[in-house]
This record gives sequence, C-alpha cells and structure tokens, in this order.
Amino acid sequence: MKKMRSGIRAFQQAVDHHIRYSVAKRWDEASAHDRYKAVALAVRDRIIDGMLATQDRYQSADVKRLYYLSMEFLMGRALGNNLYNLGVFDEVSEALTDMGVDLEEIRDSEIDAALGNGGLGRLAACFLDSLAMLGMPGFGYGINYEFGIFKQVIDNGYQKEKPDRWHNKDNPWLIERPDEACIVPVYGKLERCQDAGGSETSIWGDWKILVGVPHDMPVVGYGGGTVNYLRLFSARSSDEFDMQIFNEGDYFRAVEQKISSETISKVLYPSDSVDRGKELRLVQEYFLVACSIRDIMRRYLSSHETLDVFPDKVAIQLNDTHPALAVPELMRTLVDENDVPWDRAWEMTEAVLGYTNHTLLPEALEKWPVPLLEHVLPRHLELIYEINQRFLDRVSVRWPGDGKRLQRMSIIEEGDPKHVRMAHLSIIGSHSVNGVAKLHSELVKSELVPDFYAMWPEKFNNKTNGVTQRRWLLKSNPLLSSLISETIGDAWITDADQLAALAQYAEDRGFHKRFLDIKRANKERLAKVILDTTRVEVNPGSLFDVQVKRIHEYKRQLLNVLQVIHGFLSLVEDGRSPKVPKTYIFSGKAAPGYFMAKLIIKLICSVGEVVNNHARAKDHMKVVLIPDYRVSLAEKIIPAADVSEQISTAGMEASGTGNMKLAMNGAVTIGTLDGANVEILEEVGPENIYIFGLNVDQVREMRRSGTYDPRHYYEAVPGLKRVLESLVSGLFSPRDPELFRPIYDALLNHGDYYLHLADFQPYLEAQTRASEDYADPSVWAKKAILNVARTGRFSSDRTIREYADQIWGLRPALSQNAATVTKRRRAV
Amino acid sequence: MEIEQEKRGDVLVVRVLDNRLDAHCADEFREEMAGYVANGDRSIVLNLSRVDFVDSSGLGAIVALFKMMGQGSRLAVCGTKDAVTRLFKLTRMNKVFDMFDTERQAVHAFAQS
Repeated sequence: MKKMRSGIRAFQQAVDHHIRYSVAKRWDEASAHDRYKAVALAVRDRIIDGMLATQDRYQSADVKRLYYLSMEFLMGRALGNNLYNLGVFDEVSEALTDMGVDLEEIRDSEIDAALGNGGLGRLAACFLDSLAMLGMPGFGYGINYEFGIFKQVIDNGYQKEKPDRWHNKDNPWLIERPDEACIVPVYGKLERCQDAGGSETSIWGDWKILVGVPHDMPVVGYGGGTVNYLRLFSARSSDEFDMQIFNEGDYFRAVEQKISSETISKVLYPSDSVDRGKELRLVQEYFLVACSIRDIMRRYLSSHETLDVFPDKVAIQLNDTHPALAVPELMRTLVDENDVPWDRAWEMTEAVLGYTNHTLLPEALEKWPVPLLEHVLPRHLELIYEINQRFLDRVSVRWPGDGKRLQRMSIIEEGDPKHVRMAHLSIIGSHSVNGVAKLHSELVKSELVPDFYAMWPEKFNNKTNGVTQRRWLLKSNPLLSSLISETIGDAWITDADQLAALAQYAEDRGFHKRFLDIKRANKERLAKVILDTTRVEVNPGSLFDVQVKRIHEYKRQLLNVLQVIHGFLSLVEDGRSPKVPKTYIFSGKAAPGYFMAKLIIKLICSVGEVVNNHARAKDHMKVVLIPDYRVSLAEKIIPAADVSEQISTAGMEASGTGNMKLAMNGAVTIGTLDGANVEILEEVGPENIYIFGLNVDQVREMRRSGTYDPRHYYEAVPGLKRVLESLVSGLFSPRDPELFRPIYDALLNHGDYYLHLADFQPYLEAQTRASEDYADPSVWAKKAILNVARTGRFSSDRTIREYADQIWGLRPALSQNAATVTKRRRAV
Repeated sequence: MEIEQEKRGDVLVVRVLDNRLDAHCADEFREEMAGYVANGDRSIVLNLSRVDFVDSSGLGAIVALFKMMGQGSRLAVCGTKDAVTRLFKLTRMNKVFDMFDTERQAVHAFAQS
C-alpha cells in the first residue's frame, strides 16, 4: 500500500512536470486535451525505460527479429491499453482522482490512431500486442499518415466523409528519430552502359529523392517486461534537393517540391478505392518498403560484419501484397548495393520473406500497370522482369510445353497495358504463403493460385487470425474480465486457453445471473452512446443484434436490412410481434467512392427512421447506425452485443476478426460457413452458434452452372416479394420512391451476385431460432458463457506462436525476471 | 566550383574541393571535365573525399564524363563518404567504374593495369 502511495505521488509529480514544461500550462487552466497529453507523457516516461532495456536485451542476445510490414495499423487509443499492460491502471486512476480529474475523461480526449481501414490493419495491431506480451522481438513497420481513415458523419442518413486528424505531429506516443532517417530515390530512368568488364549494364539516373523519417510508437507487452515498437515513416523532402531549386532562385517551386514530397505520407487510401493505376499509392507502397528495408539492413549491419547470417537474424512478413515491392527491393539491396551474387541473393530473399494473403476477391488483388511501374521504379521493373524470367524457366522445366500455364503463372499479365501481378511476385519471392482461416487457406490453394500450389505445396499454410484478449476483453469489458478472473483466476490474460475453465459454470444459475447482469450493464453503457450519437432511445432489455464492420456488398449488411424490413412488415401489416424486442445495431464505414455501400447506409438509416418512429413497432424493434465506427467505439459496442452478425456470402470473407471479438465477449453468432465462422463453429459447438445458408461449394456450383435465379426466390419465399417491393414503394423514401431502385435492381434484375435472396429464408429461420433461445435467459446465458469459454483459440497469442514457430523461426527473448516467472508458471 | 588537378604519370587526378556536386554546379563540372578529355586525358581518378552530397544531376555529370571518355579509357572514383558511396551503389554506378577508398589505391591500380 505504501509502495502504491509513493507510486501515485511520483506519477502526479511527473504529470505536474509535463503539464508545465511539455505543455506549458498550469493544471487548472489546461484543456482536457492538454491534460491528456501531460498524462500520456508521464506514462510514456515509464515506458521508455522498458523500451531501452528491451532493445539492449535484444542487442546483447543478437536475437532474430521479425518485421511486420503493413500499409495499415489500426491501433486505436493507446493510453488505457498501456496502463493495463503496465499494470498501473488503478494507480493512475487514483492519482488522477486526487488531482480532481477522472481517468475516463482523460482517456476520452485521446483520438484513435486510425491508420487502417478494417480487419487487416486491426490484425496487425493485435499481432504487435501479442508479440510484445510473448517477449518476442517483433516490430511493426508502417506509414505515419497525417490523415488516417476518414471520420464518418451521417447527414440525413447519408455518409459524409471528414478528414481525420490524429495529431501525428505532436502525438505523445510517437518518438521522432531524425537521426535514423533514410533516403529513397524514386522516378528517373535506366541508362544502358558497359561495365568495367565490357558487359551491358544499366544505371538508375535522374531520380528524385524522398526522405523517410521514422517515428516510433512503443508497444507495451502485458506485464511491462517487453516494450517493442511500431515504426512509422513520415515522408519529408530532402533539404539538399530543395536547396538546388532554391539556388536556382525559384522559391515557389522549392516549396511546391517540398509539399509534393510530403504528400506521400499525407493520407491513407480507403480500401475499395485503391484505384488501379494510382501513382501516389504505388509511391506510398514503395516508400514503406524502401524505408523498412534500409532500416532493417542498417540495424543488421550495425552488429554483423557480413550478410552471411542475414536470414538467421531477420524475418519480414508482408501483410497482403501492399508491401510486395519488398521482393525486388531486397534483391536490389543485396545485388546492387552489397554485391551479393544473384542466386545467393534470391535464396536469402526467399528465406527472409513471408506473405499473408487476405482476400480471394479478384478485384482486390493488386496489379500495377507496367508503364507506371517503369515510370516510378525503373530499376525495380528491370529486376521484376529478371525474377520472372528465371521463374518461368523453372516452370518450363517442370511443365515443358505448357504455354497456358506459363501465361497464368507469369508475374506479368499480358494486355494493353501489361500489368505486374503483385500476388504472384509475393508468392514467388516468399518461402511461406499463408491464408488467414482454414477455409480461406484451402481456397487460396484450390481457387486463387492452384498452379502455384502445384509447384510449391510446401510453401502454403494456414494461420487462422486471432485477436488480443487484453484489448478486446480485459480492457474493453472490465466487468466481465473481473468476473472471469474472480471465477477462474487471471491466467487467461496471457493464456486464453484458460478461458475453457468457465465452461464448468455454464449451467450455474448464480453465475448466469452475474453474467447477464454484466451484459445488461454493458448494454446500458452502449444505449447511452447510441442516444448521444443518434438521438435514438433504445431499450437495454431488448436483444442487441450487432453487425459492425466495413460496409460492403459481400458482407451483406443488406441481407440483415431485408430481414429487419421483413420483421417490421410482419409486425405492422400482419400483426405478428417478434418473440423478443430487438435493437438492430449497425456500424461501419463505406469507401467514399463505393456507391452501393453508401446507398446501403442510407437504406439502414431510412428503415431506422420509419421503424423507430412507428407507433406499433417502436416498442418491439429499433434500428440504429452508430456513426464513425472505430476501435474505441468497437470497444463499447462489442461487450454489449447479444447476437453477432457474420453473414457474408460463403467463400468471400477471408477470416473476419470481429466475429472472434464478439464471441469472446459472449455474443452468439448468426453466421454463414465463411471465413473463421467455420472454426468458431468447431470450437463452440453447433448448439452455440446459428449457422445458415449456402456453403462455399453450393455458392460455387450455383455461380458455375448459372442456375441461380433471384426471381425464383422472389416468387417462392413467403414475404420476400413484399420486402423487395417496399424498397421501391416509397415506404422508406417517401420523397423519392426511386431512391433505392439500384438496390432493388441489383437483387432482382442484375443477378444478385452476393446471393442475398438464396440465403434469405434460411437466415430468417436462424434469426427465429436465436430469438426463441434468447427468450429463455438461462438457455441464452449458457450459450453466451460457452462462447466465452471456447474462444481461447482465437487469441492472437496463439496465432503469433504459430507464425513464430512455423514461418519466422522467432523465439522469445525474455528478461531474466520474466523468464523465471514463465518457467515457474509452467511448472505449476 | 572549385576543382584541383594533378598529373601522376599517365593518370590525371581531379579533386572536387566543394562539398556538393549537385544541380547547381553539375554543368560547370561537366564543362571542366570535357576540357580534360579534349586535352587527351584517358585515365582519370576522381577524388570526391570532400563531397558530402551528390544529387542525380551530379551523378549524371559523372556518367556523362564516363561516356565522353569513350572505349579504352579508364575512370575511377575514390574517397567517397558513406552517404555518397550508398548513392553510387543504389544507382549501380559502382558497376560501371571502379571505386577505391583512397586516391593512392586508385592511382596504384591504374599503374598496375
């Protein structure tokens, strides 16, 4: 207790110091954001010691390091997470209460670090948390975007995008490292020359220079024993480069040049709008890759004389194809800058790189036009051609005379213009290719790139995604976390398999009550958020049915809306009340250029407008779309969910991670056999999940045979016609009855590519089963508790262990104390 | 721009005394070097030990010199600082002409060949 008091005093002194000398204000006159900043800096002081100690430990043990290259890191807020992981949450809370402020208010002043679109970026953030918890030398490498994903505002039911400023220039969690800046040449042309021996060679000339300045965001592992970091690069113009223009007396051109260079890290591209051929995006991807590889090489060479053991000390994981230029960049670095012979350089590149595939959607597979690549990165294109030629030679030896196969497998796609297939480049240049759920990994082999699987079956593997239980349960659901720890101990925080011990309480009525009381409290908290953000009052006693994710046709928010309309019409026209009152909660952003997704948002809001104000419906159902879905909002929605909607068309969702977070918080899934839902089913058992609809084979067969006729379902499924006609009757858009015609047409007249109508009836049945079960609290509580107990496998700690063992060859490098504690825990 | 030259046997040693070889002085450098080539110098050692920064125009001027000298000529660069060496390697110019740590090594190598 005495120790805690002195800790509190020391912390208060640190906050006093920072409010005065870092923020230059007095505590009493400081704004909420100023106070947040002072508190964050005081916490950061503690973290930095750990960070330096961790780096010393890695350095002295000459450990192998993993670099996770990702264009997106959806980190969310850091303060609360860091306090939990340092184990000082209560201490800091008390210290601040003494100072007259509430920690919650301070935490609310922090803006999410929203440097990502969705699952891919959040996965990267969960992985960093797990790496640090496990004491593994793993570092994230990304871009320090000035603007993260846009802020979503709902205006009259329409999504409007506003810029997201997350203070990347004065963020207390970012430590600038100008001394480790690196130069990155881009553009220019290749000039043919003869080398000293008289052979033909090329020189890369006329380039422009960018400067990448690293900013480190510390990542505290649970317990504080390991502090890794996420290194984010900002693009700056080279002073030297500007000088030449200044010297020519053209001040304005110099300034323009500076602005144009700094544009590289200005903004994160929203997904689904990474337009083909967007030069800035290509430069961004190269900027990340070039800065990362220079930095990795610099660190390695600072403690090794030669490159002999480079693959023993470095692993690089490519989070999707966005950093695929790492293949030619690493080759260029080894061959051009370090005189490594081609074959040896290739061996090293393959040994170091691993590639994670995240999508089966053909339109989401990156391809860059050859003329653009040649314009931006002439030397890299030359290397890609060389890599491709050598690769195709191997294919020809294996399958002589198979020209079609060569065409299918080539990195270069023929056409006008030709394109560079980044997935092929990634597969060829990596020793490991993994999907992110069992089903997805199988489809990668059988559907996406079967020729590559035939060539290198040993490269392909699965690493089912996971989420960190520390952010998604411990931090976001403190009431449930306390109940779990009180009941089975707190080992689950670092070993999620321990959650299985909760299963023995699944039929315990006393435990049911406590569990349901907590769910109710979380729902009350969310109801307040809903009221504040949408002005809609919802009933915390109703079933909270939650679909939170990016808005995309394949994720089928539309299927959900159709069943909501069906329920509404059954109620108001047929007088059939739902079994239990329900609140349908949607949240998610649509890509700014994605017309259909934005129209679906408008439909959700319009249906909500009608349903929520209908005299007979409003006590039975409510529909809300909570604006601006982001990590900190997800932390409030997920603990309050009763039902988790995971209803994508089978075969289209790679894994999903929202499904895992929701199940871990006791929401029961209604889902298709898609992505990781299949594995959630395996874990929780068929009686604790509501699976419905077409499976992958049926979807494939339906599409292949061309037998799918949405009109058949329109006519045959009771109530469906009425639902669809309501879209164009003006019921939900009285001022413009044609508003939702594009949705109606997509479903009925343009083939319903995502098979909404085929799955409609089974979906309704699943909804009915869930409602019936929910009506009996003890039946429901048992299912919900078993979901918590049986989702330990979906911890990102498990995922990272698998990556570390099977792909990276990475080992924990724990401090002496931490190692002793771990050993003792294992012995117990 | 400031340049110093010294003849060592057949070898012309050219020392760039400025700390930058960039767009600002690249043309002047090119003209100066063209003069040496016109005088018949066919073995040139370019000492860049004082140069902190070379941009693409500076590198372009060196490539132009190399091309000007033509077949049978010899060009070596010596004394480059780390950042400049990195740029030479990055742009593959180290493949086209020899690079030496010191002027002495470069001249010695020419004498041996």
